[in-house]
Amino acid sequence: MIFQKLYAFLRRDFFEKSSYKFNFISSVAGIFISTATFFFIAKLIPGENISSLVPYGGGYFSFVIIGIAFSGILGMFQEGLPDIIRNAQMTGTLEAILVTRTSISTVLIGSSFFNFLMSFIRTIFHLGIAIFVFGMTLGNIHWIGAIIVFVLTVMCFLSIGILSTSFILVYKLGNPFSWIFGGLSGLFGGIFFPIEVLPGWLKWISYLLPITHSLRGLRLSLLSSVSFSQIMPSIIVLACFSLVLLPLSFVVFRVSILKAKKDGTLTHY
Amino acid sequence: MEVIPACFCRFQKDIKTVLNPMNAIEVSGLKKHYPIVKSYKELFLHPFRRNAVTALNGVDLKVKEEICFCLLGPNGAGKTTLIKILSTLVLPDDGKATVCGHDVEKEPWLVKSVIGTALNDERSFYWRLTGQQNLEFFAALNGISKSRIKRRIREVLDLTGLSDVAENRFNTYSTGMKQMLALSRALLIDVKVLFVDEPTRSLDPKASQRMRRFLREELVEKQKRTVFWATHDLNEARDFAHELGIIDGGKIRTAGSVDKITENGNKSLQKVFEDSVVDHDHQDTRMEEQK
Repeated sequence: MIFQKLYAFLRRDFFEKSSYKFNFISSVAGIFISTATFFFIAKLIPGENISSLVPYGGGYFSFVIIGIAFSGILGMFQEGLPDIIRNAQMTGTLEAILVTRTSISTVLIGSSFFNFLMSFIRTIFHLGIAIFVFGMTLGNIHWIGAIIVFVLTVMCFLSIGILSTSFILVYKLGNPFSWIFGGLSGLFGGIFFPIEVLPGWLKWISYLLPITHSLRGLRLSLLSSVSFSQIMPSIIVLACFSLVLLPLSFVVFRVSILKAKKDGTLTHY
Repeated sequence: MEVIPACFCRFQKDIKTVLNPMNAIEVSGLKKHYPIVKSYKELFLHPFRRNAVTALNGVDLKVKEEICFCLLGPNGAGKTTLIKILSTLVLPDDGKATVCGHDVEKEPWLVKSVIGTALNDERSFYWRLTGQQNLEFFAALNGISKSRIKRRIREVLDLTGLSDVAENRFNTYSTGMKQMLALSRALLIDVKVLFVDEPTRSLDPKASQRMRRFLREELVEKQKRTVFWATHDLNEARDFAHELGIIDGGKIRTAGSVDKITENGNKSLQKVFEDSVVDHDHQDTRMEEQK
C-alpha cells in the first residue's frame, strides 16, 4: 500500500510539472550553460600542478562538475522539501492530504520523491554532458564505494531536509538550517574548490558538514581509482552523521507536528 | 492468549452498540485556545506573557447517527475549530471528542477511516490536474486499492453529476463544480460522517439548493450517512437540518431538533438565534495568561 501511495505522489507531481512545458527545456539549457562555463574556467587551471587536486584525479573540471552535480541533491532536500510543504500549506492542499489515511512521514517522503528523482536524473545528465560533450574523464569507478557513499549522502541530506521542514511547519519562514547547511556548504563544503586550500581553523567547519565527506567519498570513488579502504573514512563519517541526524530529524518532526496541531497552525502559512 | 480477551472485548462492544445505539459525534467539555502572535513591542516589554484567544470554551454536544446536523453560528463562533478538531487537524486543549466511538486525540487513524471532509474546497485541489487525476491521487492516499479506484471514482462522479467534466482541468471548473468535486473526494471512502464547512458560501441560489438537497436527500436520507454542516445561514439550517446547534463565543448555546428549539414554531429561528448570540459578551473572548 505504501508503494501505491508513493506512486500516487510521483504521478501527481509528474502531471503537474509536465503541464509546464517550457520548464524542462529551460532546465536542460541551464545545465548545459553551467557545465560549459566551468569547462572554460577549468582551461585556466592546469590541475595536474595543483597538489590539492591530485587526490581527485588532478583535473579541476571533473572536480567541480562532481561538486555541482551532487550538491544539487543537497539543495533539493534542504530547500526543496520545506518548499514543497510550505507550498502545500499555502495552496491548501496540505489540509486535504492530512485528513486522508496516510501517515505524515509517508506524506513527507512521497512529496519529495519526484523532486529527488528529478535531481538524481539532473545529476546524471550533468555528468553525461560533462563526459560526452566536454570530454570529462572518470577513473576506474569504485561502484560499491560510490553507491554506499551516495546512499549515506541521501540519508544525511534527507535528515537536513526533514529538520528544515519541521522548522517551516512551526515557524513558517526564516529556516536557520537553510543558511547553516546551505550557506556554509557552498563555502566550506568543497563544492567549487578543495577544502585543503582553506586555512587550518576553517577546515574544521568543513569537517562538520556532511557534504564535505559526501563529495570527498564520491570524488575518490568516481575519479581517483582508489581502493575501498581509502573511501572508508568518508563512509564512516557519513554513517555517523546518518545515525545521529536521521532519528533526530524524525523526533524533531514529530514534535513539530504536535506543536503545530496544538497551536492550530498546521495548515497556516 | 491475547486472542480471547480481544474477541471478548469486540463482542462486548458490539452488544453494547446494539443495546445502546452510539451517537455519531460526542463532545464533552471541549476547550481550545489559540496563541496570539505578539507584536515586536509586546515581545520586548512582556517576553514571557502568553496571549491566547478562546475558540472553544467547553463545548458539549451529541449528534445522532444518520441525521443532517447544522451547526449555526456567527463568524468566529468556533464552528471551523470544532470541525477541525473532529477531523483530527487540530488538537484540543481540554475535554473529549469522539466520532463513531473513536477518540479524535487518541485514535486519529480510526477517526480518519470513518469521516469525509469538505472544508476548504477550492484551495485544496491541484488546479493543473483534471478532476479525475485529483480524485485518483486522493483515493490512493485513502488506501483504496488500485483495482477499485477507477470504479469508485466513476460511482462518486455519477452521484455528484461531474462525470462529463471529469477529464477537464480543475482550473476550468465553476465554483459549484469545485464544491461538488470536494464532496466527491470526501465520499471516496465509505464515510459514516461527513463534515462540510459552509458548502454553499459562494454558490448561486440554484447551485446552493442543489447542494443542500444533495446533502440531505442523497447522503442522509438515501445513503444513511451523518452530515455535520457548519453554516451561518438561518434559512438553510431551518429547511434542511434534522437537528441543529447554535454556537457562539466557543460554547453551544442551544441544541436539538428544529421543532424543539423553535418551541414547535412558536418562536422563529431568527429570534432563537438572536437570543442565543446576544445574551452574552462574545466580543471579548481574548484571554491573557501571565506566566
